[in-house]
Amino acid sequence: MGKIVYKRLKGSQSLRQRLLLSTLRSTAVLIEDIRADETWPGLRPHEVSFLRLLEKISDDCTVEINETGTKLKYKPGILMGGKHHVHDCGVSRAIGYFLEPLIVLGLFGKKPLSIRLKGITNDSRDPSVDTFRSAALPILKRFGVPSEGLELKIESRGAPPHGGGEVLLSVPIVKNSLLAVNWTDEGMVKRIRGFTFSTRVSSQFENTMIHAARGIFNRSLPDVHIFTDHRAGLQAGKSPGYGISLVAETTTGCFISVDTAVSYAQGGEEGAIEETDKKELMPPEEVGEQIASGLLGEIEQGGVVDSTHQGMLFLLCALCPPDVSSIRVGKLSPYGIETLKNIIDFLGVKFVFEPDQSTGTVKLTSQGCGLQNFSRKFS
Amino acid sequence: MAIDSGSQEQSHKSHRSPHSGAKSNKKKNKGDDQKQHNPKAFAFSSSVKAKRLQSRASEKEQRRLHVPTIDRTTGEPAPYVVVVQGPPQVGKSLLIKCLVKHYTKHNLPDVRGPITIVSGKQRRVQFVECPNDINGMIDAAKFADLALLLIDGSYGFEMETFEFLNILQKHGFPKIMGVLTHLDKFKDVKKLKKTKQRLKHRFWTEIYDGAKLFYLSGLIHGKYPKREVHNLARFISVMKFRPLSWQVNHPYILVDRFEDVTPPERVHMNNKCNRNVTLYGYLRGCNLRKGTKVHIAGVGDYSLAGITSLADPCPLPSAAKKKGLRDKEKLFYAPMSGLGDLLYDKDAVYININDHFVQFSKVDDENGGVPHKGKDSDVGEVLVKSLQNTKYSVDEKLEKSFITLFGKKPDSLLQAPNGQEDAHKFINQINDEETDDSDEETDAEELDGSEISDEDNLPDDPTTKILDSDSDEENNDALEEQCPSKNNLTEHIEFHDGRMRRKAFFGDDSDHDHLKDSVEDDGSEDDDLDDGSSSHSDSSEDGEDHRIDGLTEGEMGNALKWKASLAERMMRQTVNLEQLVYGKSGTMASTSNEAQASSDDEQSGDDEFFKPKGEGNKKLGGVDGGNVDIDDCSKFTNLSSLKNWKTEELIESIRDRFVTGDWSKAALRGKQLEATGDDDDDAVFGEFEDLETGQKYEGDLKGNNGDDETHKDDDTEIEERRLKKLALRAKFDAQYNGSESPDEDTDTDTNTNTKHGGKVNRSQADEGFFDKLKEEIELRKQINMAELNKLDEATRLEVEGYRTGTYLRLEIHDVPFEMVEYFDPYHPVLVGGIGLGEENVGYMQVRLKRHRWHKKVLKTRDPIIVSIGWRRYQTTPVYAIEDINGRHRMLKYTPEHMHCLAMFWGPLAPPRTGVVAVQNLSNNQAAFRITATAEVLEFNHAARIAKKIKLVGYPCKIFKKTALIKDMFTSDLEIARFEGAAIRTVSGIRGQVKKAAKEEIGNQPKKKGGHPKEGIARCTFEDRILMSDIVFLRAWTQVEVPRFYNPLTTALQPRDKTWQGMKTVAELRRDHNLPVPVNKDSLYKPIERKTRKFNPLVIPKSLQAALPFASKPKNIPSRRRPLLENRRAVVMEPHERKVHALVQHLQLIRHEKMKKKKLKEEEKRKTHEAEKAKEEQISKKRQREERRGRYREQDKLNKRIRKNSGD
Repeated sequence: MGKIVYKRLKGSQSLRQRLLLSTLRSTAVLIEDIRADETWPGLRPHEVSFLRLLEKISDDCTVEINETGTKLKYKPGILMGGKHHVHDCGVSRAIGYFLEPLIVLGLFGKKPLSIRLKGITNDSRDPSVDTFRSAALPILKRFGVPSEGLELKIESRGAPPHGGGEVLLSVPIVKNSLLAVNWTDEGMVKRIRGFTFSTRVSSQFENTMIHAARGIFNRSLPDVHIFTDHRAGLQAGKSPGYGISLVAETTTGCFISVDTAVSYAQGGEEGAIEETDKKELMPPEEVGEQIASGLLGEIEQGGVVDSTHQGMLFLLCALCPPDVSSIRVGKLSPYGIETLKNIIDFLGVKFVFEPDQSTGTVKLTSQGCGLQNFSRKFS
Repeated sequence: MAIDSGSQEQSHKSHRSPHSGAKSNKKKNKGDDQKQHNPKAFAFSSSVKAKRLQSRASEKEQRRLHVPTIDRTTGEPAPYVVVVQGPPQVGKSLLIKCLVKHYTKHNLPDVRGPITIVSGKQRRVQFVECPNDINGMIDAAKFADLALLLIDGSYGFEMETFEFLNILQKHGFPKIMGVLTHLDKFKDVKKLKKTKQRLKHRFWTEIYDGAKLFYLSGLIHGKYPKREVHNLARFISVMKFRPLSWQVNHPYILVDRFEDVTPPERVHMNNKCNRNVTLYGYLRGCNLRKGTKVHIAGVGDYSLAGITSLADPCPLPSAAKKKGLRDKEKLFYAPMSGLGDLLYDKDAVYININDHFVQFSKVDDENGGVPHKGKDSDVGEVLVKSLQNTKYSVDEKLEKSFITLFGKKPDSLLQAPNGQEDAHKFINQINDEETDDSDEETDAEELDGSEISDEDNLPDDPTTKILDSDSDEENNDALEEQCPSKNNLTEHIEFHDGRMRRKAFFGDDSDHDHLKDSVEDDGSEDDDLDDGSSSHSDSSEDGEDHRIDGLTEGEMGNALKWKASLAERMMRQTVNLEQLVYGKSGTMASTSNEAQASSDDEQSGDDEFFKPKGEGNKKLGGVDGGNVDIDDCSKFTNLSSLKNWKTEELIESIRDRFVTGDWSKAALRGKQLEATGDDDDDAVFGEFEDLETGQKYEGDLKGNNGDDETHKDDDTEIEERRLKKLALRAKFDAQYNGSESPDEDTDTDTNTNTKHGGKVNRSQADEGFFDKLKEEIELRKQINMAELNKLDEATRLEVEGYRTGTYLRLEIHDVPFEMVEYFDPYHPVLVGGIGLGEENVGYMQVRLKRHRWHKKVLKTRDPIIVSIGWRRYQTTPVYAIEDINGRHRMLKYTPEHMHCLAMFWGPLAPPRTGVVAVQNLSNNQAAFRITATAEVLEFNHAARIAKKIKLVGYPCKIFKKTALIKDMFTSDLEIARFEGAAIRTVSGIRGQVKKAAKEEIGNQPKKKGGHPKEGIARCTFEDRILMSDIVFLRAWTQVEVPRFYNPLTTALQPRDKTWQGMKTVAELRRDHNLPVPVNKDSLYKPIERKTRKFNPLVIPKSLQAALPFASKPKNIPSRRRPLLENRRAVVMEPHERKVHALVQHLQLIRHEKMKKKKLKEEEKRKTHEAEKAKEEQISKKRQREERRGRYREQDKLNKRIRKNSGD
């Protein structure tokens, strides 16, 4: 009685997703050899922070980490959700790192989740909070997540290295389960929207970025609006930075996004400090041009989501009721592939690939695992 | 008996209708009202009434609707399970036998295990007899699609029926039909009619008004009348089954064949080693994915060691063409009864040949003298006999028997009481003997497996093992031995008819006594009815049986491989992409991490030398995912390899992706998939990754400028598909909206909707939310089917798992040997798939209600046996009730007639799952066994049940409003925890805990040198308390729910033994002869109140001095003798006496006067008061009038103002 069977895994790769899936599937996991051979072994601060976050929103989950941090035992509890949570994400990774699993977890909780996350809102490694708001949340709505209560509010921004940003995320719970999607038509891009931000730098930077980006789009689409979001004072966080996030909306309601941010080096990474300390920051014109080209590149690739959100899309498909979902994506991103592997590992959901030569896209078909929101109270 | 209170109910005063007065007049008027006879009586006379009626009708309509559920089953449905249930000796087996006879013309000697029968063109039915113990009933309720409740009409309802009904209700409530038997016991027609009526109405109250109750009027030649069985069969075959939510969401298998496939050496070494078993049955519920864990009811949770889909042993007639033997013989499949003529296995097919046709010499040795009908031995038989005579050593036999499936136990004939077990061993032994010699070649062939495909063409297939199933006599013998012993067992507790019967009495059950009289002994001739007359299969080894052989698994594998290789060429890219994602092995690796780990090893082997340690695993990234410590980052934009999007041609290349581009070309983009997928099959995947591909295709597009044709083609195709869908949907609507006419052909032929045409129109006319919902669901289903049917078999299996309705062989390793040892075909085995997260254990909160027929309330922490989902386990609940503020307050006992919450520990089941609780499993218990019913609300790891706790303390020292309280806490630490808590005394003085008392203030140790006493708290009160006060602290404390659950392993013990788990406290007390502990303080005693004696008032001396003389206590010393003044006698003079008398007279007169005066005054005052009251009333009235007038004025004014402002 009470003997827990741990699923054994190795390495720190896709730890986020493994923990997420293990929580949803409620299987205990034991991860060994986490960066065992590296000069700085064990879990990174952001991973530990993510574990703390899991503990915060779930009930009776246990986390055991050995002294060196190379071994992790995680027994998931029941997702509780709830209001007035506050979590400090630290400065080693941006809030985007935490948001993706957190949204999915929040859907299957007992109560709607609302949590205040503190840390870095925009950086160049993780999807920014703007992208989440404009691209990831519409994806969720496709899967039948009620739109009321699904909200991401940016209270203040924080750029690396010191962060200081704050966002308020609220996620509703799904009543029973998600809805399977049939989402293969990517449509045509009808409008491009975007957000620029600048903290502790001149607001002129934003205008420059917008100008540069519009220059690229001008020849393809006139409907381009990029909003500026200049923060000052407390709302600007603790370090200077600026960045831009663009979203292309298509006629079929797909949102394709790219984003980037420019700031001084990330604090958490060792080794990177001396490397980038002297590096000149990219000028705003280049940033604008680069990101606009990036968006065009994503559009060219095709697919109903950009490569950043592939993982989330696959995950949501796998969590559907046992109906067939079919989706179309462009080139599979490494993270997407990683996600597919994890999905089959934990949920046993296999995707069928149908590459389309002509467009360079892949149609993926899967039958969901039929996960239902069991932690919800039935009255 | 539980309900016998109904018979002695008190008589109520009967209603007396009024004979006079308004009411009776009204009635009289109503009676001769001419409107009643109006032919248009029910037409609407008033619009209000019409409206009301309409709304009522629509309300009724809405109430009829259920939330539509998606039916995800595809293909042929599994046979519907008809569970035949009833109290013992009511004729269950006979009914099954009669039904089987009706369908198949076979005489079934004995009903053992599920019996599958083809009952129509599109329908198969599986009959199962429900065992009589409560465990069997619970399991049967979980797999039933239709329950036939057999009721002894001559006796009335028995408790089993109601218990089963309750179980059914909580586990999904499948269709139910009642069958009344033993109606030939009634001699009196009128009594029969009355009984039928009575039973019917009682049945209806339990299910719903109009529930079908069937009457079987008696026995003719030991069977039910043909006509009635026919009718019953008709009812069964047109029955529509509704999906049950639990069953639809979980795969499950009702095992109709069970085999032990442990290697015989292992059994030989250790008779009690864990066994490997195979279970066969149709998959029901939902699709079974690989890697699903299963729960075997009564055994436990197991992971499947292997799943194989086998050819359907009892296919529908339409599908049965070309496969198997003739259709006539395939109507029927019951391997546990030893009656299926064909047994399929993964690597072999067994044909049972009746002993009428084949006789072997060795048989009688094994059989202990089963008599053989004399037959002339023909050449073949002689040959076989001669072959059998060859001797082999035991070792060789063992070697050969590796392939044959069964292990044999030496003591089988002595021990095993159950027939099927016998039969298996029996077959086994014969099998060993017979096939020894022929096995020599076949074994070798079978082992390498590659030659199996060659054997296709051989007319006498060596892999076809010939089994002899002449074990019928044997089984029946065993059974007959069993029967009398059972009778003996129940004899001594017999109440009725040679067995104990638990009659259910009801209030309206007035004439049960008479009915009882007419009960006669129904005898047990059924048992030995069909002994000798079994002829079910002939041994025609026609040319077709090699086809069956072609279906063995080895073949299947080959065929698939062959197909796969074809498919591979077709979709190489897919495979490539699949390999890329899911690793090199085409099959799904259950744990991909192993593969990853191995690839990691390779990587490191190469790279270790060239990279510094620590950096070795970094920055590899790559698509292969070989690195276990790859950076976890979802963002993927390689900004370095961006193209220069300022160039014109690049922009042109994605021009069509924007709304500003060419819309027709863009529309074409998605449609190219089917067209291009086929022809360029040698385009490697690498090209796909190339970003230039899009451009290349662009040129291709430009090539055919006149692409309008293809466009149109596409359009027509889409249109066609859309129409098809619409038609299907319409058909669906028509079927479900229209009359409940039974149509068995539910195939997906689109052209059959013509006959429903009229209804389609109707349904489209009143299309509402419900229809839209149903339409959506149907569309969803069609999409699913279309998508899944596109895939080839192997991938489909991986994507969606085994489909429902397939016949599966599950291999399970390491089950306890008791399961094999005590396997009893009379008890069907249920294998249920475990859903996501259901294997975990945790706390569950259920809403529970004690069953009203259960006599006692339930006690917290007394073990009960619950049945949730597939499982049955014993657990210890803690009962609670939700207070108004949301607190869950513990209850010591369940409420008498109310729902309460119960929390217990056990394997989790999703919310809304029904729960049945039982306390006693034994069969010979008179009362109703269902203890409680419940429903899972949520699961919750933190048990949140609280109970009230009162800490009691006594003051040990009282200052002004502060007191030191002892005995409330045990330590200073505890006090620290309770600082600030509210307390109160018995007399109602409120206070607060401050801090632990310091040593200086009054908390000195009694003796010098002792430690100051711990746990004395300083508290303040709103008033000074007394030393005699008792101080209470009221608090709530968390109640721990015991982490205990004990799965019921009823399949691992003899079935007639009652499972014994944890005992209740009461049982333990009874067993150990312990008295119920009594708390003396809780007893009621006569209250004795001593009169309180107060100390005399003492006034301090200083105060006394200050008092005025009058208030001063006069301290007159008490005298021993009274004063002289008091003692002396007064003797008056005559004059003095006169004066004294006069004074007294005068005083008397004065007193009288005063009295009169007082009375007069009183009277005067009264009149005055009355007058005053009257006046006051008048004035009040006037005031009210005045006020009213004023208000009226004011209101008018207000209105006018409002009107003005409105304008």
